[in-house]
Amino acid sequence: MKRRLQALVVLLILGAAKLPLEETATQHFRTTGLLSAPLSLSLRENLSQMGFAASLGGLRSLVATITYLRAYREWENVNWAKVDGLLQLTTSLQPMYSNYWDEASWHMAYNAASYYENDEKVNAFVREKLAKEHVQRGIAILLEGLRYLPDDVRLWNSLAEIYERRSKEPRQAAVAYLQVYRLTGNNRYARFAAYQYVQTTDPELWKKAYELLRAAYEKKSQRTPSLIENLKTLEERLNIPLMKRIPDPRPKIENATIEVKPGR
Amino acid sequence: MPAPASSIPAVTVENLTKVFKAGLGKAPFTAVSNLSLTVNDGEVYGLIGPNGCGKSTTMKAILGLVTPTSGRTSVFGKPSTQVESRRDVGFLPENPYFYKHLNGMETLLFYGRLCSMKGAELKDRAKEMLALTGLEDAADRRVSGYSKGMLQRLGLAQALLHQPRLVVLDEPTAGVDPAGSRKIRDLILGFREQGITVLVTSHLLEQMQEVCDRIGIMGHGQMVREGRLDDLIAVENETELVLSDASPELLAEIRALIESKGSGARLVRSGHPRTTLEKLFLEVADK
Amino acid sequence: MTLPFSIPRIWTLATATVTQLLRMKIMAFLLVFSVIVVAAGFAFPVMNPEQQLKFLKDVSFGALQLFSVVIAVCATALLLPRDLEDRTLYTILSKPVPRFEYLLGKLLGVLILIGAGLLLMDIAFSAVLWLREKLVLAQSVAALKAEGTATAESIAQVEAFVGKQGLTWNLHLGVVAIFFKAAVITALTLMISCFASSTLFTIVISFLITIAGHGQGLIREYFLTGHAGWFKKLLSALLAVVTPDMGVFDIVDNVINGELVTLAALGFMAAIASAYLVGYSVVSHLLFVEKEL
Repeated sequence: MKRRLQALVVLLILGAAKLPLEETATQHFRTTGLLSAPLSLSLRENLSQMGFAASLGGLRSLVATITYLRAYREWENVNWAKVDGLLQLTTSLQPMYSNYWDEASWHMAYNAASYYENDEKVNAFVREKLAKEHVQRGIAILLEGLRYLPDDVRLWNSLAEIYERRSKEPRQAAVAYLQVYRLTGNNRYARFAAYQYVQTTDPELWKKAYELLRAAYEKKSQRTPSLIENLKTLEERLNIPLMKRIPDPRPKIENATIEVKPGR
Repeated sequence: MPAPASSIPAVTVENLTKVFKAGLGKAPFTAVSNLSLTVNDGEVYGLIGPNGCGKSTTMKAILGLVTPTSGRTSVFGKPSTQVESRRDVGFLPENPYFYKHLNGMETLLFYGRLCSMKGAELKDRAKEMLALTGLEDAADRRVSGYSKGMLQRLGLAQALLHQPRLVVLDEPTAGVDPAGSRKIRDLILGFREQGITVLVTSHLLEQMQEVCDRIGIMGHGQMVREGRLDDLIAVENETELVLSDASPELLAEIRALIESKGSGARLVRSGHPRTTLEKLFLEVADK
Repeated sequence: MTLPFSIPRIWTLATATVTQLLRMKIMAFLLVFSVIVVAAGFAFPVMNPEQQLKFLKDVSFGALQLFSVVIAVCATALLLPRDLEDRTLYTILSKPVPRFEYLLGKLLGVLILIGAGLLLMDIAFSAVLWLREKLVLAQSVAALKAEGTATAESIAQVEAFVGKQGLTWNLHLGVVAIFFKAAVITALTLMISCFASSTLFTIVISFLITIAGHGQGLIREYFLTGHAGWFKKLLSALLAVVTPDMGVFDIVDNVINGELVTLAALGFMAAIASAYLVGYSVVSHLLFVEKEL
């Protein structure tokens, strides 16, 4: 009996002593990204019991993959609500995995939106409304993803593209492209931002665009046709003095091939 | 020449009491009650008694496998609670069991290493023991395939492996045929000659009679009688005469002599002494 | 004159345990694991390459975790009862072997087995992952070439990207984390088997505590911040103290995602695992040293 009491005491001392160590370790791991934030109990409703238990048991990544696969299945069945729900679950399980955010928004902003755009079962007004809603949903997903991964190039790029092509919001697109430029240092994206500024109606933004593009023009390697075209447009809008304008582009001469037909 | 017996007894048991606590609702069970015994260095001590009398518990206490509720046991002066006390002890349990997945040689090597033996010394000694117990051919077979007799022999081999000064044998002849039994008897006698102390329990009382110097008889957890074998079993007031080829006339004369000059002595019985089944068996086995 | 403990003796007991478990064909699971890994590596070709590699890693690590925990509990749980039932324990303890050496030998034996098993499974999994990675890379480069955008820069980009998803040294450190978790569970199971009355009881209790240990993070938070009454708080406090926090070793999820395992992280895990190993071993000794055999 004495020994059993001693054993219990040692166990309790061990338990009390390890608590602060475990807490410190957990915090350290969370800050360095090795452990994700704890699962919220609300997920319990959306996952099966086994799924929840597995997520707690260190198999979160696997559970996330499974929900992702299920989302894929629902996409094949064209069940957008379920696709959204399952991918939401997936991103909750693994918020640090940018691919999930990206695909989730892609499904909404492109696939779902296009589906509704072409859905002949409803009238045109409803079609447009549904399509727009899903594009916004795609944007919302990316914005949430960017909260977890503020420096993720892929997400910023996808966001820019959605603003550019789907919701037609050039100002927002430009902001997103500039983020990509900030993160990668790749001049292409600065140029893309500038092109978006050109699409807006704000003269201030045109000025910004002009500065960006003019600087790019100085580097001969960046003188793409789009660059020159946009610069010309801006020069007109901003009434840039002739002296400072870039030379007109020479008409393109395609590689001339002189066909010599054998004489008769 | 055996080494001179030292003055430290091989085993001392002083007022040993062991009470096993039972589960809820059951009364505790007293296996051994205030038991004392001494086994002197170099002698063969037999512990006998009916099943459940506490023999095994006493042995386990001596080997330190069981903690006494009160009292003490020691081996060559070292308390049984100390691990060191087992260095000089070899134990053959009743129905010895070994790891099935090892073969005979591996088993001996395993136990030898537990006694801090190693290297060539261990291997040689293991081979010696296998030869002694007649298990050389089975040495590389898995223990799971051994017969009961072979297990018994392997048990003996591991008990003797580290050259102990005390050998404790719990029912060494259980399940062994009379020929094997005889071998074990001879082995025990051989131990005595080498000065190795033996503590043995057995139900084969005839055999115990043949090998033991001293006997302890237990009953209900207590020592009922203890002492030198000869003292215990001598029916003191009787004498035995065994004659061969005696004529009936001679027998009648002896009867008459007893009646006339007996001074109180009386003939208890006469007749043909019986041989034993064991002797008949051995006569057949030896052929 | 012998030392208070003997390393050769403990080693002898450990190797005997390993041989015993091996000859019980416990390593059959290695084969099962290999089959699972290969299946996971080449199933679902419909997914994009990144997802395929992730799927392979997810399934493999999941299997590694499952196997190591199951072996830790089941192999350990049967050791003591088996020796007791067979009475091999008597023969062993009738030698000059202190009881705690016997326990340490068993513990060490199971740890060696799990370690070796994990190593072999890691090799198998790494091989399949490496193969898959190379295939995925080849596919991606071929796709680039088909699109006509196969510049040196873009190929290098794809290589870097796929490489990050594929086989990295970091993944092996994830396996180390799994080993630490299994080690703690082994020590826990040994401790429970020292007072439990049967193998089944040991297995059930050990699994329950392991499961509770995974939810420890939640329990701790409930205890520290929850709005429950004092009784519930006391209960959760007790649970937090008594069960080990398995969550600390669950870095595998994020390691799969590419998070690096730092030296500090390894240090933390090693320290916590050691604390449990030592603590549980001490408790095991206290429970076993005067146990009626």
